[in-house]
Amino acid sequence: MGAARFWGVSFLVAAALLVLTRGLIGNEYFFFAGYVVLQYIVLSTAWNILGGYTGYTNFGVGAFFAVGAYSSVVLHKLTSLPVPVMILVGGLMSGILGFGMGYLTLRLKGVFFAIATLALAIVAQTFIVNWDYVGGSRGIYVIRPQQAPLYGSYIQYLYSLMLILAWVSVAIARTIERSRLGLGFNAIRDDELAAEAGGVPTLRLKLISTTLSGALMGMAGAPLPYYVTYLDPASSFNLSYAVNSVAMPLIGGMTSWVGPVIGAVLLGTIQQLATVTISSALNLLIVGLLLIAFVIIAPNGIVGLVQARRRARLR
Amino acid sequence: MPPLLEVDGLGKRFGGFVALEGIDLAVNTGERLGLIGPNGSGKSTLVNCLCGALHHDSGHITFDSRAIDGLPAYRRTRLGLARSFQLPRPFRSLNLVDNLRIPLLYTVNARPGTRLSESAIDERCLALLYDVGLADKAARLPRDLTQVEMRKLELARAVASAPRLLFADEAMAGLSPSEIEEILVVLLRLNEQGITIVLIEHIMRAVMNFSTRLVVLVAGQKIADGAPQEAIRNPEVERAYLGE
Repeated sequence: MGAARFWGVSFLVAAALLVLTRGLIGNEYFFFAGYVVLQYIVLSTAWNILGGYTGYTNFGVGAFFAVGAYSSVVLHKLTSLPVPVMILVGGLMSGILGFGMGYLTLRLKGVFFAIATLALAIVAQTFIVNWDYVGGSRGIYVIRPQQAPLYGSYIQYLYSLMLILAWVSVAIARTIERSRLGLGFNAIRDDELAAEAGGVPTLRLKLISTTLSGALMGMAGAPLPYYVTYLDPASSFNLSYAVNSVAMPLIGGMTSWVGPVIGAVLLGTIQQLATVTISSALNLLIVGLLLIAFVIIAPNGIVGLVQARRRARLR
Repeated sequence: MPPLLEVDGLGKRFGGFVALEGIDLAVNTGERLGLIGPNGSGKSTLVNCLCGALHHDSGHITFDSRAIDGLPAYRRTRLGLARSFQLPRPFRSLNLVDNLRIPLLYTVNARPGTRLSESAIDERCLALLYDVGLADKAARLPRDLTQVEMRKLELARAVASAPRLLFADEAMAGLSPSEIEEILVVLLRLNEQGITIVLIEHIMRAVMNFSTRLVVLVAGQKIADGAPQEAIRNPEVERAYLGE
């Protein structure tokens, strides 16, 4: 399937999903939980562009996510822009952060790069904690507008936006995967020196990867203040965003766009169910256990499992 | 005609260790140059400096009458300087066709006026694999290859960038005599097609058969440069290889 066709088909799927869920489901909680699952589709897809395709592990997901969220806080205090515009601005801010991080750290490889991203998250959090205008360590209340644009409740509105964002990020990932750019990313992941010797401008491609990945994460974070209505650094920079965004592609499979989607839907849904039925503290335990299980049983994720089976059948 | 590659007083040090010092070298178009020297004499460092994987500390490199000091490796590849690696470094997650697709997309298609279509790239990939006898493994991953096939893939990938000058860095190390012969045949054919080749090699028989000129490096300095038979009879070279 060509890229244009994929955009079209995935748009129809997303639109159908939107119409069906909003038309048929009356329970407000569905949209509350669905928003989180969709948000993780965006986050894990974004993570996978840098982590899966290009081979650089980013543990600083929380920083990008929170920069998107806090840019919305600033915009909320200064202006009365609609949320879609805030999403774009949030994406721009964290895209800039991604570019900066890329420029400063991409000479580092493997585990050293991962540590640097973790440090970035701490630096960004410290910055926000000490910035009184956005609430500092106290956090800040964000009052939602009374009326959602279009029809339905505000949560349904945010859910719809996140669904659109999920569609866009998945379609971007799929487009990259089958493109010259994606092949270049793969070459960097496999062997940077050989990629450079083959004419791949590795630094430029890595910057594209960090910028794009960061921008999508920020876009996922931008509606957060309206979703939670109270935003504080401890929860918005939470390490669980990074853990989940790494775990989901790992469980789903990192080589293809499907992997992060499967991982996010699976893990996100289980977490939401566990939160309601058992306890919210159980979330990370579930992630941990699943991660261990997958590393042992299916190191290439669910997609890898399916591919291996298909290859075995062909032989 | 000016030489294709001209190296003038090239020096490289790692901390206090002088890896290369005052290297002058000219490679003419169409030549088959052998570069030999004992282990640690700086052969690979020289290749790395010339191809841009390392940056030299002093001296100048001119390729095709153009200064390339400080250019990143990918720009040098696009200018027509290709290399194969001493230890094969294939793209492990990509099949053989995609391994060759990288230089075609990023080097050949990045040059003005040589843009290939999707299908032309596919054809070129298969033709390159056919040339080195790997056509039947086009859809396989590098891990399915033997050592000699891996070396051939390494060469094919370097050639895929349509270079004017190719550095073959120990393309035959660890191979059997018949396999060495196979690689030599490939290299000679490439040279006939107009690619200038610098062969870095330990296996003397192969170098002597292949080279039209020999350069000897010892301890980071060039001690001989000339016709192969003369170069190895040079007393300094004998001393470096055989001792006093």
